[in-house]
Amino acid sequence: MVIQILLLCGLIIFSGLAILFKDLLKAALSLAVASLFLGIIFFRLNAPYAGVFEISVVAGLITVLFILTIALTKKEGEVEEAKLAKVVFPLFFILFLIIDGLVMKSLLQKVPSLPSGPEAGTFGEVLWKQRTFDLVAQIGVIFAGVLAVLALFRKKEDDKDE
Amino acid sequence: MVFSFIVIPLLVAAFLPIIGKFSKKLVPDVLTNAALAFLLFNSILLVKPIFNQGTIVQNVNWFGEKVNLQVALDGFNLFMLFTISLVSLCISLFSIDYLEHYGHKANFYALLLVMIAGMNGLVLVPDLFSIYLFLEVAAVASYALVAFGLGYDELEASFKYLMLSVVASAFALLGITILFGMTGSLSFQAVAQGLQDLNARYVVGVCVAFFIMGFGLKAALVPFHAWLPDAHPSAPAPISAMLSGLLIKVSGVYALFRIIYSVIGMTPVLSQVLMALGTISMVVAALLALGQKDVKRMLAYSSISQVGYIVLGLALGTPLGIAGGLFHLFNHAVAKGLLFLNSGSIQHITGTRNLDELGGLGKRVPITAGTNLVGALSIAGVPPLAGFWSKLIIVIALIQAKQFGYALVAILASILTLWYYLLIQRKAFFGKISEKWLHIKEAPFWMSAANVILALICIFVGIFFTPVFKTWISPAAEALAKGIQQVLMWGI
Repeated sequence: MVIQILLLCGLIIFSGLAILFKDLLKAALSLAVASLFLGIIFFRLNAPYAGVFEISVVAGLITVLFILTIALTKKEGEVEEAKLAKVVFPLFFILFLIIDGLVMKSLLQKVPSLPSGPEAGTFGEVLWKQRTFDLVAQIGVIFAGVLAVLALFRKKEDDKDE
Repeated sequence: MVFSFIVIPLLVAAFLPIIGKFSKKLVPDVLTNAALAFLLFNSILLVKPIFNQGTIVQNVNWFGEKVNLQVALDGFNLFMLFTISLVSLCISLFSIDYLEHYGHKANFYALLLVMIAGMNGLVLVPDLFSIYLFLEVAAVASYALVAFGLGYDELEASFKYLMLSVVASAFALLGITILFGMTGSLSFQAVAQGLQDLNARYVVGVCVAFFIMGFGLKAALVPFHAWLPDAHPSAPAPISAMLSGLLIKVSGVYALFRIIYSVIGMTPVLSQVLMALGTISMVVAALLALGQKDVKRMLAYSSISQVGYIVLGLALGTPLGIAGGLFHLFNHAVAKGLLFLNSGSIQHITGTRNLDELGGLGKRVPITAGTNLVGALSIAGVPPLAGFWSKLIIVIALIQAKQFGYALVAILASILTLWYYLLIQRKAFFGKISEKWLHIKEAPFWMSAANVILALICIFVGIFFTPVFKTWISPAAEALAKGIQQVLMWGI
């Protein structure tokens, strides 16, 4: 229980730092550490597949992509953040933690559940035969992401052409 | 074939960026509009089978191998598919001319089609987690479409929209997770059955609260509405029409009420909470709309207010209330689509959306002025236009259920609606024309044609109210009113 709480605290602290850091590199690294904590939590909750994906893809691959992108960008005009955001975000965050703590503490102990049979077959079989629609939707999400990049970075290409 | 609603837009979207390299305008225009016309035709063809059978459950095999690609179609989601196809076809027709100054049509259409595929998928899947995933498909495409203009306002609005939408998705996912934890399943049928076997009133109550926060944010109900008046006006006009006309209803209203009616079950307390939220949205947003000078911002506030009407009708829970709510959903999708497209025409013609700068345009642009008047009067509920009937049904349903206070507020809010729409009409189209607008011309052909089609639908549905109501609205309302029993009979 203590380890679980420590892991959750680590996850929350590093997620918060990822938002609060102004240095993009530090923010990306904080996000990676937060993902690492989440991956460990997944392993401890008997979700090894989720843990492997979280650590390899989110903590690993995505962090590498972030760092590469940051390395490729040049320092240009500093962006000033609105002062209100500095006050509102931490306040909202603390309020959320308090409400979340109170609700979930009493809720988690009361959640009744039906016995559910373990999903038969390997991870691949479950994904392919039982959650096939989710795969279609994930293709849609990836598709939307790729098309968004094509649409939103088009101006730069145009400038280059000129 | 029911799957075509998801597969065809995704397939066309996949090829459009490649086609766009060879043909920048004509082929993307034709292909997108043909795909959407096919979907509209397909939804009309499905009316008869749904009328006869009630529900269609379809499975797809992957080269003979059994996989879990299953969709369940009843009156409610067929009605939604028809609304999505009809309004998006008109929006896509409008885009033919409107997008000339943006360029990159192929990319735009591809994103639009992915968004439509996401909405269709959300409407068709009988599974909680798949709903969440298709919600994200539509949402990711819409973030990019809001920012499509690449200006400062567009990017800022898109970022704000993204942040609040992520919070909304997180709440929805949290609710789904708890239901999965309790029932060990994600399909509507199994979760509905599981919840009936469990005595878990309070936990289900918390789940519903998460769903209301999540989907309420997507539907922009007051007090979760802050993102909408920024996001919708900043987007290109066709996207504003998509977002206000369709997306908030599909990813907010449809998802919320499908889960509440078909999985969890409506209770009197929940009904009261949702009715109160709907009424607050209706009044607060109407008052906020009155003070706006930007046409699109005023329309955005109006969307929040009209979603309030839809929620009020659907939350009432009586068959007539549900029918009124659904009918208003359709009428608002058509009329608000029309009004946002009209605002695009105004901006295209004059270069501004500021009501204080406009005036007297009606003499120079009679089609835009006329269609705008039809859309405005329909939403405000003036007879014999479509919006009048839906508002009337909602009010009658409220009176029948002895909710006199809500009925009175609904009528008063309708007067407010008429007030701010007449304000737009007077400031933009009536009065003396300013010298700088003396040489303006009517909007290009396809923009005007799309507006005229939508205006004609407002008039046609108003005049031929009975057959439209019988064909589309009644089966949808029946499917929803049957609630959990309907889902348990699906035979999945």
